[in-house]
Amino acid sequence: MLLAQIIVNGLLLGGLYGLMALGMALVWGVLNIVNLAHGAFIMLGGYAVYFLFSELGIDPFLALPLAMAAMFVFGYLLQLLVLNQIVRSAMLNTLLITFGLDVVLTYLAQLLFTADFRTIAPSYAGANFTFLGVTVPGIRLAAFAVAWLLAGIMWLVLSRLPLGRAIRATAQNLTAARLYGVNPRQLYAVTFGIGAALAGASGGLYGMIGHLSPYIGVPLTAQSFVIAVIGGLDNPFSVILAGLVIGMAESLAALYLGPTYANVISFGLLVVILVLRPARALRSA
Amino acid sequence: MRRPWVIAFVAVTTVAIALVPVFGSAVLIQYGINALIFATLAQSWNIIGGYTGYASFGNSVFFGLGAYGTAIAMTQFGLPFWAGLPLGALLGVLCALLLGLPVLRLRGHYFAIATLGLSLAVAAILSNLEIAGANIGLILPLTRADGMFFELALALLVACVLCVWWISRSRFGMGLIAIREDEDAAAAMGINTTLYKTAALMLAALFTSIAGGIYAYWITFIDPASAFDPTLNVRMVIMAMFGGPGTVLGPVAGALVLSAVYEVLANWISTAAALLFGLVIVLSVIFMPRGLFALIGGIRRHGPGYLLQNVRQHRL
Amino acid sequence: MKRFFAMLAALPILLAAASVAAIADDDVITLGASVQSTGSQANTGRYYVDAYKLAVDTINAKGGVKVGDKAYKLALKLYDNQSDVGLSVRQYVRLITADKVNFLLGPFASNYALDDSSVAEKYQIPMVQGGGASGQIYARGYKYIFGTLPPAGDYYASTIEMMGKLDPKPVRVALVAADDSFDVSVAKGTRAQLKSAGYELVADEKYAENNADFSSILSIIKSKAPDVILWSGHETEALNFIRQMKSLDVNPKGFYAFTVGVPTADFRKALGKDANYAFGMSSWLPEPQLADPWFGNAADFAKLYQEKYGYEPDYHAASAVADVETFAVAIANAGSLDPQKVRDAIAAVSFDSLYAHIKYGENGQIVLPQVVIQIQEDKVVPIYAADFLNKPEYPVPAWGARK
Repeated sequence: MLLAQIIVNGLLLGGLYGLMALGMALVWGVLNIVNLAHGAFIMLGGYAVYFLFSELGIDPFLALPLAMAAMFVFGYLLQLLVLNQIVRSAMLNTLLITFGLDVVLTYLAQLLFTADFRTIAPSYAGANFTFLGVTVPGIRLAAFAVAWLLAGIMWLVLSRLPLGRAIRATAQNLTAARLYGVNPRQLYAVTFGIGAALAGASGGLYGMIGHLSPYIGVPLTAQSFVIAVIGGLDNPFSVILAGLVIGMAESLAALYLGPTYANVISFGLLVVILVLRPARALRSA
Repeated sequence: MRRPWVIAFVAVTTVAIALVPVFGSAVLIQYGINALIFATLAQSWNIIGGYTGYASFGNSVFFGLGAYGTAIAMTQFGLPFWAGLPLGALLGVLCALLLGLPVLRLRGHYFAIATLGLSLAVAAILSNLEIAGANIGLILPLTRADGMFFELALALLVACVLCVWWISRSRFGMGLIAIREDEDAAAAMGINTTLYKTAALMLAALFTSIAGGIYAYWITFIDPASAFDPTLNVRMVIMAMFGGPGTVLGPVAGALVLSAVYEVLANWISTAAALLFGLVIVLSVIFMPRGLFALIGGIRRHGPGYLLQNVRQHRL
Repeated sequence: MKRFFAMLAALPILLAAASVAAIADDDVITLGASVQSTGSQANTGRYYVDAYKLAVDTINAKGGVKVGDKAYKLALKLYDNQSDVGLSVRQYVRLITADKVNFLLGPFASNYALDDSSVAEKYQIPMVQGGGASGQIYARGYKYIFGTLPPAGDYYASTIEMMGKLDPKPVRVALVAADDSFDVSVAKGTRAQLKSAGYELVADEKYAENNADFSSILSIIKSKAPDVILWSGHETEALNFIRQMKSLDVNPKGFYAFTVGVPTADFRKALGKDANYAFGMSSWLPEPQLADPWFGNAADFAKLYQEKYGYEPDYHAASAVADVETFAVAIANAGSLDPQKVRDAIAAVSFDSLYAHIKYGENGQIVLPQVVIQIQEDKVVPIYAADFLNKPEYPVPAWGARK
């Protein structure tokens, strides 16, 4: 039945959206940095998986953790060397500097990888199965599972591991955290690295479903942005849930209004939710 | 801005710029129109972002509404430009009033995001409206009158600068600054913060949407992607921040300098221009987070070590 | 403070100096263009840059262009518009007023051509562009814009004609098109042609350009069980559509066709075997029958291009070459470099080139039929143009049934 298919489509799409937003939400919630280069990180992670697959023949799902490790290092260094220098200036400056970084990274990607589009196409890329009349694409289901898995791991880290506690402490009160022996420079770098790794994972999955080019970043940043705000910056699971909400909303909108209304729905929802959630709104910058 | 020679300098520069269409090359006029429009965008952002402290990331919605208002008036209703422009401005100001009220209740980050979301939502809505040409956009009548557009853009900028100058010396402006520094205290002192903030947003919207209308007629073709271009927001904010927000001439200087840099890069180094421009942004945020004027003043007072001092102040 | 203001004042003066005209060489005709060499459209923009250069070099090697009894060399002045329409417009103004080029070539894509041609019209310098097909470009009554891509509304005409001759004859058609100028033109024309040929339009979906996800549209289409899917949009979206078609197991009973992508080598490369069976179209194929005064024929051109640049040319490149050749022929015919005279010569031109027989319609746009093509075993096979050229693999097997 069409409606059932549309709903399943929306959920699966939303899972990947949620994963994309996870990294941005973490960095935003802890470091107060709105990373406008987030889409570029997704793109770079995608390329990392692409090259691991096409040059070294590593299966994309096995290449995911490798790409995540590479993106972690990249994010760690970026925060340590560049972003840490401006962290305490006006919040607006973080928007501007990450915008500049996005421009630079996109340009470098174009230089290194050319504008040719790539696809990550393992033999099972188009695999699907049908269940109760609904066709479920295999990779999307896997992406959905990976999203929940990574959200679960993040939740565990944040709530059980000492690193997670340090991250949460720093997010709440930097000075107090320092007094307890947290080294903020390292911690910020680690957090940003984790955010980059999560973005990279979503990039690898995205490359299996769609395509990769240096320019895929910007719409993905916008989408992640919307979902991070709606999901809230505290709980990884709520970010994934927000992704599901947006995925479903877009799918249903495509069915009932027309596919060109997807953006109206996402951004409209963003504004409406922001305006109607006073608790969030009154939290100052 | 009390020193008389500053005022004299500004007046002379303005007259000199006004004479560009007479003596300058066509390329300079083109660049000029673009730069003047950006200067107006940066300066009007200054009203809500610089003085009131509400850093909007969605002023492009006013630009787009101004452009579309003018374009729809001219192409769908056959009205002349001089009727279309005020209609576009009206559309922008109404948007600021109606949508500004709920959105201005938010602070900091969330205000910025809400305005950005608003801009993208309105763009998406317009791309579905037939009267606006859906996603294809509208084609305006062709005129070859670059000189007129130049003077118009200059006149708009002058009006905007005068408005900001008035703000800087008026009770209204003091109220805005009070809101920026400590909104709760300002409210406690009896300032009607909602009224002031909304008025500031409407003023910013007014100039921005007129700029949009001029742009639409000059370029003869608008579509949602170009009229509501999200990078417009970043560029106007960077220009204002680069020059110095909350000052009268800062954003204008920032806009003129950065436009020149971008144009020179784009035409002489062409391909690497985007890269270099990105680097310029990154470096200027690190080394001069309070803008160009503050940087110049700082270096004068403390020498080149001021650059590093900036970093030391803002790093983790 | 004073020094700063002095610097600020110096900037516009520097710019004024910078805009002084380039030194004009006496027996050189300069063609100017602002093309997407970087940015999101660079993938296709490079076909234009490379083709313009090859055309200019080849024409010069064969003696250049004769104006009266003087031989002129062609030169190119190219700017990279970084896939930014606003910048492209300013660069065209610079080309005309500062660089003082003689004539203009075009960018890629209809929306750029739409804006940039206004500049050509404003300054009354002829522009021959091979990158924009939308009817809008030619609907404004402009006199100085000409184009070598055929009208967007007619893109599916050959395909629809072919459908009438297939066995079993398809009945139910699904149409999917993006919402930008070119694709809306295609959809409008195609809808009308389908209606007059008596086909049943079971789905008519419009999507926002730059959309990466087609799962909703594909599910809707699947639920209507069409025989044919006709799709119009941009290459990257076509790629996504095919991949998602496979993963959602959408199988039209007859075939599916695209307006872009199929003729282009890296599109096929990126999809690998998934590209097989897809139908597409091209206004040009590298056939030896297309004779050309400078390149010999289209097949020779394709070989030369591949050797020089390392990738196969497609209709974008051929169209770009035709633009340069149009100027060479028109200038020689006009016997002058005067823009008005050359403009009239272009309007009257009629010659054979490696791209096609070049003759512009009343409104400045060329009229050419599209050849229906299909990817069979990783190769592009011409299938239909007025009649069948090769046997199509029809009906197209379902995704699960392919080897």
